Amino acid sequence: MGWGGVGATLAGCDLPTTVTLEEGKEKVVSYLIPEEYVIPGVGVWYASTCQQCPSGCGIHGRVREGRVLKLEGNPASSINKGRLCQMGQAGLQAHYNPDRLSTPKVRRGTSMVDVSWEEAYGLIAEKTANISGSKFAWVTGSVSGHQSVLLQAHLDSIGSGNHFVHESINNAVWSKVSEDMLGVSNPRLRLDKAQSVLSFGADFLGTWTSPLHFSTEYAKFRTSPRGTLIQVEPSMSLTGANADLWIASKPGTEGALALGIANQLVSKHGMSMSRLSASVQTLIRSYTAEETQTVTGVSAEQVAKIASTLKERAPSLVVAGGSAEGQEHGYQNVAAAMALNIILGNVGKTIQSNGEFAYASMAPVKGNNQSLVAFAQAAADSRFDVVFFSGTNPVYTAPKALGLKESMHNIPFKVVFSHFNDETTAMADVILPLATGPEDWGTHVAPYQAGRGEISIQQPLMEPLSKETRGFGDIVLTLLKKRKEEAYEGFADYYAYLRNAFSTIPDEHKDGANDEEFWANVLAKGLVDVGVKKASLKVKAVAFDMPKDLGNSSSMVLAPSPRLGFWDGRHANLPWLQEAPDQISKVVWDSWAEIHPSTAKKLGVKEGDMVKIASAQGDLNVKVYVYKGVHPDVIAVPLGQGHHAGFSRYAKDRGVNSLSILDPKVDKMTGELALYSTNVKVTKAAKSDDVLVRFGGSETQVGRKLVSTVPADVYERTEGGDHVA
Amino acid sequence: MSLSNLINDWSKYRKGHEEGGYHEYEHMWGMSIDLNKCIGCNACSVACYAENNLAVVGKDKFEKGQGMHWLRVERYWDEPDLGEGRVNEFQQHGASFLPMMCQQCNAATCEPVCPVAATYHTPDGLNAQVYNRCIGSRYCSNNCPFRLRYFNFWSYYEDSWPAPLHMQLNPDLSVRDKGVMEKCTFCVQRIRTVKDTARMEDRSVRDGEVQTACAQTCPTGAIVFGDMLGMFNPESGVGETKVTKMWRKHQVELGKTKQNKRTPDMRGYRVFEFLNTDPCVMYLDRVREV
Repeated sequence: MGWGGVGATLAGCDLPTTVTLEEGKEKVVSYLIPEEYVIPGVGVWYASTCQQCPSGCGIHGRVREGRVLKLEGNPASSINKGRLCQMGQAGLQAHYNPDRLSTPKVRRGTSMVDVSWEEAYGLIAEKTANISGSKFAWVTGSVSGHQSVLLQAHLDSIGSGNHFVHESINNAVWSKVSEDMLGVSNPRLRLDKAQSVLSFGADFLGTWTSPLHFSTEYAKFRTSPRGTLIQVEPSMSLTGANADLWIASKPGTEGALALGIANQLVSKHGMSMSRLSASVQTLIRSYTAEETQTVTGVSAEQVAKIASTLKERAPSLVVAGGSAEGQEHGYQNVAAAMALNIILGNVGKTIQSNGEFAYASMAPVKGNNQSLVAFAQAAADSRFDVVFFSGTNPVYTAPKALGLKESMHNIPFKVVFSHFNDETTAMADVILPLATGPEDWGTHVAPYQAGRGEISIQQPLMEPLSKETRGFGDIVLTLLKKRKEEAYEGFADYYAYLRNAFSTIPDEHKDGANDEEFWANVLAKGLVDVGVKKASLKVKAVAFDMPKDLGNSSSMVLAPSPRLGFWDGRHANLPWLQEAPDQISKVVWDSWAEIHPSTAKKLGVKEGDMVKIASAQGDLNVKVYVYKGVHPDVIAVPLGQGHHAGFSRYAKDRGVNSLSILDPKVDKMTGELALYSTNVKVTKAAKSDDVLVRFGGSETQVGRKLVSTVPADVYERTEGGDHVA
Repeated sequence: MSLSNLINDWSKYRKGHEEGGYHEYEHMWGMSIDLNKCIGCNACSVACYAENNLAVVGKDKFEKGQGMHWLRVERYWDEPDLGEGRVNEFQQHGASFLPMMCQQCNAATCEPVCPVAATYHTPDGLNAQVYNRCIGSRYCSNNCPFRLRYFNFWSYYEDSWPAPLHMQLNPDLSVRDKGVMEKCTFCVQRIRTVKDTARMEDRSVRDGEVQTACAQTCPTGAIVFGDMLGMFNPESGVGETKVTKMWRKHQVELGKTKQNKRTPDMRGYRVFEFLNTDPCVMYLDRVREV
């Protein structure tokens, strides 16, 4: 490998000079004359970028004696400001995981055999030699920076435009509504300026848009003058658990509630809805407090109270995601929430523009579920001969009803880039073992940045654990060389490619430094801010409707709630996260179904009992956790478990995958999967020997003053005007 | 030994913290945790696993209460019964989260019961646990009102870190073996490193220079850590640190058997204050709009 490891790059030198214990036995002795920056027993911190979710937080890794030991947030990053979440902390366990893939594999009949990289590359070259562009596709997770540039170049080299970017947890509907109603797809949300926040299913502290960034902003929101948080969702998220007022409206009625609140603001508080389209104005007039109560199940008093809170606690901010998006009328739900922002005059105050990243080829390409649906359809239609997969596990995240597992067989040649064996590698013809975040080079542009244009650098924190893994950039570069030798032969490896790219960056970003200094500065700081192109908000009067038959269903609805932890299931192989109790239920090492006590009574079950959840697509048997943070018509089974393909010793055969039995319904406007709209029948099932293990002996404080609570007005009286962080 | 002597000695011991207890403190490490900012996300707990070589014990042992989470985030629901037969249908004010780690009491109940003095009070104001002195009597754990001590019932190193997971282990502290009690140390290895650096540079430790793993990672900055000796002993030369300012503002004092707040509504409190163990961790009330 041509790149020189962390030390060499710090010294600004291209040649490999790092000496570590892992590199070779004969060099262990070289510690007698250590490199000047290697002091045995002293940890050194290097900047890099977290790869645990698509948010793109900056990290510092502590390196000692050639090993990375601990990760922290990078204080220079405007996204996480030196903080890190539990998924980020557990990034080390993805890197040091005992079940990582360590050699390329090729399918021979039903089994996979180890091969050399030359053989794997040879096979890929053979299969893609004369392929027509329409027969080839990439399926990836969110991607940005130079990886995105190379990936696009690879597609161009084949003449293909087929790039499916899939993330189960996304804010695609919110983006579309923002684009339609505000003119920008990624508005800046000023949680720090808001005095009240109303969230329809958007778990912004846990899984929505950029959770760690919003957590840092939340701290400001809660500092005096303390903002009020109201959360509306069918089952409690981490954000809901921190709400002043948590409301469960009937499944799918988030938008109706938003219209009801809009009605109150207009009729009782004299606010103007003139910037909305005429049809939406008519729609709002029809959602009187009584009508809203009938549809949503939220009392008319509560609707009035929310409206007056938003009015009094200005500026307010209304956001929508998760359960509000995950409906066949998800777009309308989110649009109704956005209409509230327009009525309340939040646009320009708490909703601003983030601008646009200036270099389009490196700009973040955000994943969604619409592309998963499209890919499954294309596979079913046998449109592709060769598909490359990286950074995604669609065979796990696709509901069974999409038939992806079956139609994968229609793709004759599947190449999967992966760190681990998972459901998708199980169907691969070639598996290419990837280097992990702490072993690899990369550049990342976070999809949500608070008005910044930071390119965050990912630099290796240590030598690769296995000689037979390769970085994503290195692999794509090699593939490109095999197709267009003359264009890429100058780059020995991906590091050389990146290094060259940074040499050609416009001088205005270099702050007067020469090339070497600039590169050293970027590595030391972990990022470079290249600014953004201005983009301004323009409120547009968009027409939308709301289905009339909402709130009538008597059927139970399944909520596959995502969590800051296992995320979309990708972290179920990390033992720290398996043993970390779920924030809400405090369950460890398992799946569970959350149900309301009244539902539990009807079903005749109590905590730990097994229920069968049956949809039209299949059923799940899962143990229940009973509490009052879920709507009685909803059964919530948080995401992440139920891996069956030997996805590490820690995740194997543990719990259920709640995505698997979802109906293949989509939001009609955006084509996004309607994740929260599957009707299910729930019945008591035979008790399992396997018990539900939870942390904590007591659900309440039993009168002890462990967590003491004071009313907000007392807080304002004693600590008002205080802005100490 | 008369009964009155016994009572006197006991009483003197129980109020020893009022006189300063250990009199040659170099530091008095303390903490403030703002439950208005804590979101219960669990980042602190996993950061602690990463920093302190905490063993993952697996589902079966976790069920038996053998999880080794030095820092655990407790979650409580509001009392369901509102009285007069009224019951809320929903948890409408969300959850109550409480990050709990060793409270580093200055009149610690764990210390005097150790038969071999494996747990003792250091000149840094910490409840130290000397692993290689511990004989596993578990008296300390039995006596801790917060249940914050964790016993190694098994040799977890045998299967908690299958290769290459073991390469992540922090070499600044040991991996504990069967029969030894362990608990939160306020990241004593980080304190040690900073103190050594300060000594080599012939200066005192700066405020904010030592960060525990939990405080450093906390997404909302709810956890503030620092030296509180300036509050405990104004002559010590340790000035007002960020954490002392928090304690002063919220009118909680170390070394007091009974707090006497000028403004009783200020949010500071210590868990189980009435037990008189003089914890070095202050919590600030959770706040809710009602």
